[in-house]
Amino acid sequence: MALSSNFWIWIAAILTLAIYSFLYKDNPFYKFAEYLLVGISIGYGISVYWHNTIITKVFNPLVYDKNFLVLIPLLLGLLMFSRFFKNVAYLSRIPIAFVVGAGTGLSVPSSFEFLFKQVYATMPTKLDIGIIIIVIGVISTLIYFFFSLEHKGFVGRVSRVGITFIMVAFGAAFGYTIMARVSLFIGRIQFLLSDWLGIIK
Amino acid sequence: MKKIFFFILSISLFILIFSQEKPILTFLGEDTPDSIVKNFTIDASDIPNDGGGGIELKWDSPEILKDWFISIIRIDEDGKRVLLTTDIPILSKQVRDVNSEEEPDRVIDSKGYNYWGILSKKFITEELLQILLDTFDFKEGLYSFNDDTFFVLSKTQMVYSKASWFNFLRLAVLISLIIISLTFLYYLNLAKKGKDLYIRKINGLDAVEEAVGRSTEMGKPIMYILGIGYVTDIPTIAGLTILGRVAKKVAEYETKILVPSYDPVVMTTAQEVVKEAFTEAGRPDLYNKNDIMYITQDQFGYAAGVDGMMMREKPGAIFLQGLFFAESLILAETGHSIGAIQISGTTETAQLPFFVAACDYTLIGEEMMAASVYLQKEPMMLGSIAAEDFLKVIIMSILVLGFLLSFLGSGLKIEFFKNLFDILYQALQV
Amino acid sequence: MRFINFINKLDKRWIYLVLALCIIIPFLFPIGFPMKTTAPVKSIYDFIEDSIPEGGVVLIGADYDPSTMAELHPMAKVIATHALSNNLRVLFVTLYPQGAGMAQDVIENVLREWNNSNPDNQKELGKDITLLAYVPGVSAVVLKMGEDIIETFNEDGYGNKLSDLEVMKEIKNYNDIDLMVELAGSAVVLTWLIYANGRYGLNVGIGTTAVSAAEYYSYLQSKQAIGMLGGLKGAAEYENLLSKKGVYWGRKDATVGMDAQSSAHIFFIILIVLGNIAYFVSKKQKGGR
Repeated sequence: MALSSNFWIWIAAILTLAIYSFLYKDNPFYKFAEYLLVGISIGYGISVYWHNTIITKVFNPLVYDKNFLVLIPLLLGLLMFSRFFKNVAYLSRIPIAFVVGAGTGLSVPSSFEFLFKQVYATMPTKLDIGIIIIVIGVISTLIYFFFSLEHKGFVGRVSRVGITFIMVAFGAAFGYTIMARVSLFIGRIQFLLSDWLGIIK
Repeated sequence: MKKIFFFILSISLFILIFSQEKPILTFLGEDTPDSIVKNFTIDASDIPNDGGGGIELKWDSPEILKDWFISIIRIDEDGKRVLLTTDIPILSKQVRDVNSEEEPDRVIDSKGYNYWGILSKKFITEELLQILLDTFDFKEGLYSFNDDTFFVLSKTQMVYSKASWFNFLRLAVLISLIIISLTFLYYLNLAKKGKDLYIRKINGLDAVEEAVGRSTEMGKPIMYILGIGYVTDIPTIAGLTILGRVAKKVAEYETKILVPSYDPVVMTTAQEVVKEAFTEAGRPDLYNKNDIMYITQDQFGYAAGVDGMMMREKPGAIFLQGLFFAESLILAETGHSIGAIQISGTTETAQLPFFVAACDYTLIGEEMMAASVYLQKEPMMLGSIAAEDFLKVIIMSILVLGFLLSFLGSGLKIEFFKNLFDILYQALQV
Repeated sequence: MRFINFINKLDKRWIYLVLALCIIIPFLFPIGFPMKTTAPVKSIYDFIEDSIPEGGVVLIGADYDPSTMAELHPMAKVIATHALSNNLRVLFVTLYPQGAGMAQDVIENVLREWNNSNPDNQKELGKDITLLAYVPGVSAVVLKMGEDIIETFNEDGYGNKLSDLEVMKEIKNYNDIDLMVELAGSAVVLTWLIYANGRYGLNVGIGTTAVSAAEYYSYLQSKQAIGMLGGLKGAAEYENLLSKKGVYWGRKDATVGMDAQSSAHIFFIILIVLGNIAYFVSKKQKGGR
């Protein structure tokens, strides 16, 4: 393999280097690449929304399938724009009420099921050291987040066990985060070395 | 001679062609040889706990039939035939008749349907299928088609699909919903009636005074960062409440507070909060609107802006309270490097480790909400904190109970407790 | 003492430079650190290998964008390839606009590599694999799919009507999906667990960035998810399993990165140890004064 002859790979490589140049010092190349990213993601988002929402969910059903029920959600959606006009701004509450109401209705029972599953899974079906640690961890952490009792005496001791568990979890999350950030960097280096420079396969 | 030969040839050819073109479907009698086959029945019923439009078919699969296949044809009350399925192994034991709403042949609620089962040892041919769907006179019994025998089984009783109003499989969810709602109502009512609900001290909050005091001693300002949330985000709201408390202390110590903001609405709200706090402390004259300024609505732009400000102003105390994402460490690290006391708090679990590592005090998740309740002492919020605690007690009791039962049942092998544990375990399964 | 001072005052840019070298050098001179397959990865592999009959359907959620592509893209490739190798059908779904581009890239790559290596078992877009069109709504989409997948999307990601596609044959809702693997670095994983698994009992596997991996372990333990690929390491383990099976031909993106990953980790461990020593020594000094 050799240096890439693909124009777009060059663009991608140059932009990658422009972003990484920030590590040395803030500079115009970095700023350019950053603004470009923000602009492109908004533009891309709008085009996708346009095709997949306006066209497939509103235009096509109305024009081809003559499904006039679509007008109801369309009207509700348009009411959101009333926020830009002060004297009718209150109308935007109607669609928001729909979204909040339906959203809560959907999520509340599901969240319960979710909680149930977690409690269910914490039940010790067999007694081994792992499950005992889990049960102790869950209970002591819950006690740490218990606000109606002063953390003194027994409760205090248990909540200290709880915070220890929380810290161990943070340690694990911290390690994983480092791993993730390194992985992202590896992905870019791989791109630069292989797709762009062709040094490795 | 030639003529006779030709005649025989044409007749045999005719028979050959005829026999191939017109397959013969023969009824071999109602008595099926195998008594097990005779006893094989399909049960059809409405699918329970669904939204309608579905029928469930079930059958036993006796060992003797394990190599057989079943095909099912649905006939509605108007006599219209629809193929449900062909050649599925008997061992599968059940099939559901559910179709997309766009499908013209789907099951329609409150219309009657019969199902006929066709049992065969080989796959049913396309030809036979056509006959079954078009002209076949359905009657129980043994048939042969092109030398392959198959059985037509007794049809099911007429079934109707219907939508269920209530999904009984989720009864436990309804019950817990009722319990949780009642708990909240109870505590809200208590709080409204003016009952003093206790809320414990939050560690990081005690440090507020120390941080503001030390910063004043050193003659340095205080910086309060609300993160990159909007006013609708709960951590941001909690952060604004805590800001009120901090600002009041700042006014008492007659020092300066800087609030760089990410969102214009958050900025305006923060201005109001600080102004009110200064007034409350009796020092409205110290309030300077320009200390609570807008930076930018770009994540890393904001981080860079705040970092720069930290380096220039060298605040003695930094509060990071609100919603933070990838910029959390950039901010907390810069704060640490200039030697400020840092008190942080957020609900983002992925960012908390960074705060714990780089700050002196951290409000972890729910502690942050509780801190804002602690400061505000608003009855409604106190009530919900108390209710949450009560629900935590319920969960803990279930776990402890489960643990004890499991210890007695599985550990000490006492059958009674093992059964109790199983009941509890099943009840939690939704 | 000079050493402690040196650490405390070290310019961060030197650390960046050493880190970059730690990552670049292993690419040029591979070391080949040994790798073990972890249980959460194996269980997704085994599920696809043993529990799904031929013609079954694997749904892959591509809810990531270029920022986490390095970790999640290799996962999408291996899972799609594995499913195709067992003659399963593969559907990609995305709940975020940027995901569509990611999924199309994976489909294109996987199909090209598969068809180059298997001239006698060619796979086709629309017949064996496709992408469902992006539809906004996130949790609403996940819930609607439980009722009717074709009605939810109408079209595939290339503008074809779903009802005309062979790959969609006899697929109505989650009952016809054998496995869903959600690839995301955000909380959208929970949406699948709460609604698709919680409400409809869909088998969900998780492929996530290492940042989120720790958070999702509790859902493995509660069996809400059948398995998990965590970060680049998870993808690398899966690549290894597939190569052992003999069905992976593409560049092993994740595996080649593992050496770099390990050497960076060693560098970090050294930094953490040094940092802590410096911290405690300087704290003691201050206390002593």
